[in-house]
Amino acid sequence: MKHVDPTELERPRPTGELRTAAIVIYATLVLLAVTIPQSVVNWVADMNGNPVEETALRGAEVLRNLSQRSGIAGVYQRARDIFIAISGVEPD
Amino acid sequence: MLFPTIEFAVFFAVVFPVTWLLNAHNTWKKVFLVAASYYFYAAWRPEFTLLLLVSSVFNYGAAFAIDHFKYRAQRLTVLWIAVAANLGLLGYFKYYNFFAASLMNAFSAIGVKVDIGFIEVALPIAISFLTFHALSYIIDVYRRVLKPATSLIDIMFYIGFFPHLIAGPIVRANKFLAQTVSPRDPANIRLGQSVFLILGGLFKKVIIANYLSTGFVDGVFRDPTANSSLDLIFGMYGYALEIYCDFSAYTDIAIGVANLLGYEFPQNFNYPYRAVSVQDFWRRWHMSLSSWLRDYLYIPLGGSKFGTFATYRNIMITMALGGLWHGASWAFLIWGSLHGSALVIERMLGITGDHAAAKRGTLATALGWLVTTQFVCLAWVFFRAPSTDAWLGYFATMFGGRSWSTTVTPFVAFIFALGALSHILPPRWFETLEKCYDEAPLLVKVLVPFVVIYLISVAAPAGIAPFIYFQF
Repeated sequence: MKHVDPTELERPRPTGELRTAAIVIYATLVLLAVTIPQSVVNWVADMNGNPVEETALRGAEVLRNLSQRSGIAGVYQRARDIFIAISGVEPD
Repeated sequence: MLFPTIEFAVFFAVVFPVTWLLNAHNTWKKVFLVAASYYFYAAWRPEFTLLLLVSSVFNYGAAFAIDHFKYRAQRLTVLWIAVAANLGLLGYFKYYNFFAASLMNAFSAIGVKVDIGFIEVALPIAISFLTFHALSYIIDVYRRVLKPATSLIDIMFYIGFFPHLIAGPIVRANKFLAQTVSPRDPANIRLGQSVFLILGGLFKKVIIANYLSTGFVDGVFRDPTANSSLDLIFGMYGYALEIYCDFSAYTDIAIGVANLLGYEFPQNFNYPYRAVSVQDFWRRWHMSLSSWLRDYLYIPLGGSKFGTFATYRNIMITMALGGLWHGASWAFLIWGSLHGSALVIERMLGITGDHAAAKRGTLATALGWLVTTQFVCLAWVFFRAPSTDAWLGYFATMFGGRSWSTTVTPFVAFIFALGALSHILPPRWFETLEKCYDEAPLLVKVLVPFVVIYLISVAAPAGIAPFIYFQF
């Protein structure tokens, strides 16, 4: 006889709240990756080399190049330069 | 793995959908979340995941043993063995060297040379938190507040769940295990609250705590005697803001992340520097620890049931051990004892309790706030100073009136002001913001976290320091 886990009988259906949360999380991450692509490149480059990470690094570099060519990545760098100039904190 | 990193963002981007896809299969969801939590913990030292596993298996078995016995004396014996084992593990890793050094120094002072020897082992991250979670479970089973969990996975999940694992909040076993029995309802996700807790936490940690630490406080505490009295005063207040922004940031993010996965954690901070007495402070600061200490230490010691002297003694024991929980040093013991003494003095003066607070006028309230804030900030110096010489030098220089020049830059002063705002802005403003966010169109819901994190990245320092409470 198959034993049924009683906790699996109650199955709440996904709601609009879950769908909205998922959209907010992924859209935010994608927008950040597109607008600050150098961070993604640096993060992947810091990992130990293996085929998966090398592919990820190539992907991140493609993203960075596209972002730089369209001028999106430059906005971040200019904003960062202005912040450093105003605040007087040490440059990176 | 730190919360404000790309590594954690990628980790959460995987954990979030898999958790909800497995929601209908509750057992498999818990297995997945345990695996994810162990991976999260292994990011520091993989070998210490064994500690998590051993603690979970031991306490799972201990709870069954406690529940198995009918007579109180038998159950109490098993409980004491289990408590001793948990505290023994904590003591071995965290306190052995401290007590060995203290004992050798004590013998040396009376002219006896004793060589106990030290152990060379790394302190497992978050061992104090996981011990308190484990103790909460077995004590609740002993008190019959809770039935022992039938599945080991439930206990592995409770002790190891990654949002609270490293620095709390300390979640009560009965509150958390009740949430693990059935699939979570996604309708309970409070998106606005979670988003603002996470964004607020990122801002407090990455901008306020990090810049206060690297831009001013670390330098002041590195060599207090080389600083002016005014800088030491600013350093004391700066550290008070830094530790609040650092620690509350961690628990705010933990609460927000847990809620996005469908789980509820208790509130851990409630404007602590608005406290008008030390008792009030402990009802607002690290609330999950202070209520844990009250329920599992102060009340079992007798609480306030056995007369005035016993009450004062119980307060002092609870606060001294609470101080020592933070770290193995005399400074933490002094810090805890100072707070204990303040609580005793407040009781002697009859200025504690809700009844006394209700009778207090505006002037008395303002005076209470002023005295409490100064006391709490002064006590933080013991907490932060790396050695006895350091805090002695700190106070000697600060009260010595050495000079009244300052090295606080306009930028650091601005960060101070931002830190102070975290206590000045009324809570209803945040509630209104959350409400507006929840009612906003989807595009705004996406743009708000994106713009805030983007601006935090623009203004972030080059590296992120670990959270202060990681060492505990």
